[in-house]
Amino acid sequence: MLTTAPELLARAGSDFLKHFAPFDRIEAEALAFVAQRAALGFHARGRTLLNPDMGQPRHLYIIRHGTVQVLQHVAGELSHLTLGPGACFPLDALLAQSPAAHTYIAQEDSFIYQLSADDFGQLLRISPVFHLFCTRHIAKLLGQARQQLQDAFAQRAAEQQTMTTPVGELLKRTPAWVSPDTTTQAALDQMAKLGIDCIAVCHADLQPVGMLTYGELLSRREPAAFDLAQPVAQIMRPAPCTLPASALAYDAALEMARQGVRHLLVTDTAGRLAGVLSEHDLFELQRIGLRQVRAGIEHATDIETLQQAALEIRQLALSLIAQGIGAEQLTRFISALNDALTQRIITLALTRHDLAGLDFAWLAFGSEGRHEQTLSTDQDNGLIFVRPESDDKDTSKLRLLAFARDVNQDLAACGFPLCKGNVMASNPELCLTPQQWRHRFGSWISEPDPQALLNASIFFDFRVLYGNASLGDHLRAWLNKTAKNNAAFRRMMAINALQVAPPLGRLRDFVVDDDGTLDLKKTGARLFVDAARIFALHTGVEASGTAQRLRQSAEKMGIPQTEVAAIVDGFHFIQSLRLRAQNLNTEHDAPGDNTLRPDTLNDLDRGILKEAFRQARKLQSRLRLDYQL
Amino acid sequence: MNWLDRLRSPRSEASTSAPAIRDTLLRWQALPPPDLDRPHFDARYVVINTAATGLDLERDRVLAIGAIIIDAGMIDPRQSIYVPVDENPADTLVEVLHFCGKLPRVVFNAGFNRMALERLWAQWLKIEPEALWLDLFWLLPAVFRPELDGPTRLAQWMTIFGIDTFQRHHALGDAWAIAQLFIALQGHATRLGAATARALAELERTRRQFTTPA
Repeated sequence: MLTTAPELLARAGSDFLKHFAPFDRIEAEALAFVAQRAALGFHARGRTLLNPDMGQPRHLYIIRHGTVQVLQHVAGELSHLTLGPGACFPLDALLAQSPAAHTYIAQEDSFIYQLSADDFGQLLRISPVFHLFCTRHIAKLLGQARQQLQDAFAQRAAEQQTMTTPVGELLKRTPAWVSPDTTTQAALDQMAKLGIDCIAVCHADLQPVGMLTYGELLSRREPAAFDLAQPVAQIMRPAPCTLPASALAYDAALEMARQGVRHLLVTDTAGRLAGVLSEHDLFELQRIGLRQVRAGIEHATDIETLQQAALEIRQLALSLIAQGIGAEQLTRFISALNDALTQRIITLALTRHDLAGLDFAWLAFGSEGRHEQTLSTDQDNGLIFVRPESDDKDTSKLRLLAFARDVNQDLAACGFPLCKGNVMASNPELCLTPQQWRHRFGSWISEPDPQALLNASIFFDFRVLYGNASLGDHLRAWLNKTAKNNAAFRRMMAINALQVAPPLGRLRDFVVDDDGTLDLKKTGARLFVDAARIFALHTGVEASGTAQRLRQSAEKMGIPQTEVAAIVDGFHFIQSLRLRAQNLNTEHDAPGDNTLRPDTLNDLDRGILKEAFRQARKLQSRLRLDYQL
Repeated sequence: MNWLDRLRSPRSEASTSAPAIRDTLLRWQALPPPDLDRPHFDARYVVINTAATGLDLERDRVLAIGAIIIDAGMIDPRQSIYVPVDENPADTLVEVLHFCGKLPRVVFNAGFNRMALERLWAQWLKIEPEALWLDLFWLLPAVFRPELDGPTRLAQWMTIFGIDTFQRHHALGDAWAIAQLFIALQGHATRLGAATARALAELERTRRQFTTPA
């Protein structure tokens, strides 16, 4: 059969689109739908495609060739993001049916597909995959959250986001159903056997016609009069409430409230029964919110409860990852919850250890100190204490060490492995007075051998987690002053930081190990963390987080905020890839946790990762320039 | 002799007098002439291209015709045709004519494509459809490479713009590449002040005079 011209051109379109997310995994009919209807246009360099003043966008744009720059105004700050082939925009505005939030400008001569807003709406309806892509991933890709969300706000956002989970993902079991001619008795028997209080009534092709619930039965005016030998069709609730699997948990909650029901039937794209959603399923979804986990931690009285809380933290983090929340908020979440957990463990330990009268603080080092914990973190902690005048035999230190051993063990029980390098508060070397800490730091600064530099990279990112915060503040102030006055030390740190280069290839995109992977921690996140630490010491910035260090020191160094924003975005993108690679089943600090096979990324993510490494390179050239290396 | 006389002429072949074909030709004839002064963003064009056994008008035979409408600077897959040219192509040719209407016709290398199509129409439909032809062979260098030693071949222009197609030397495959070149040209020509079909025609005429020895 001869292929028609529209078919040939549509195939040319789909051959291109299928290399990019979400078209690489979208249903075949949905892909054909897009390829048939998307018209190709040309936009000369510098031309504005969309801006907030143009009203509701009338098209979905998909870049075929060229690049588009997105100018975002967030909190009075202007930032850029460059979109390349395969990128779709403005998904957020189309979904919200509101004017574009950003300005989109062709950065070079570009060929761009456009699909009408109506067709976009149709696509959302026919393609659950596309729907999922829109609701989940776009916020992450385009949002690149520049806002420093306050914890309270982020908490609310997280709880709301949970409710944006598609109901299809909440279904727990294969759907239970009976045909309309089943006797009511048999239907009730099946419900009892499965332990469910609602069963769907379907034709053989799984098209739902009704449902039966205990509630319904009991609410009948004359239950006794009903003959259980009658077919279930006689007593079921006809025309049951149904929702497509792609509908959101929100929609389900709303629908239940509106209809006054406790159960909804969920259907697939063909209208077939996919499962039964209960009100209880929705409650469970909300239960695992930040506030609940936090309350659980604060009221825990034993280690078993805290172990459960630790598990919930990981579950919450994973569901947030799945919902595409930005890496910055996510790592702060994890850190905030882990802080609460550690504080609770300390509080419980203090009931067993009498430290009354001792002035001390529990310190967190490394990623925990920077508020950048991922799901894969072992313990890095220490103690700072003031030795009482009367204490001449180190008894206070011995008491603290016994207490620390308990805390370290309890943390291990909650899933934070003991530190292999023994960077733990129970190590007598790390339970020190302010004078001793200053002496320790001072010796690293004055004699920066490789070990000293390595130590500096862990211990200089300290923060007080429990106890007298001013002990930490004074140490920080002293450290900053000392490091600021010692250019030779900072230069050594810079040399050290430059020993690992971003894995960008000259010929290929990425330089990978023999097994095709690259290490997102060693050759990715570390590059940003190390450079930020040096900048912070150089400019006397007291923040211990990488992003804050970069932002605050850039301001002092006169680096434009837009440039810093791009660097911070790069860092967060790498962090989010690390988070995505970690999952519930791997142990903390499992060896595979930070490795990534770049060839498993879609083109858009590869593009962003490349850009992130370029930002790391930029940061390193800045170091080179500053220290003339 | 106008074209209707030709249709009535006893020498015309059977196929041209078939009622359906005659009907379509009459309707085509009744179309209003195109407005050549509409700006590109509001105008329609048709990109038309042939695949032939070679490039010798005397010896080679057209095998297929592909055409794509450019509407407001956009290429919509649904507005395209691709037809083979067989032994008795009157039906096919009238279909192409109907598809093109009286829109300005965009080709790459009119020297072959325009001539071949006009010959076919004259031979099988006995008409010489009046239309504005625009030739990217001249227009692309006029807009993008004002110097005289620029590229001349379609493949070279495709490389410059990073354009690809599903099949080279295929009537529709190349038409699609030409259509992409044309929308790029529209975008840039508008900036140079050549924002209408008439202005493009003028630009092409100047370029020909400028570069072709008298």
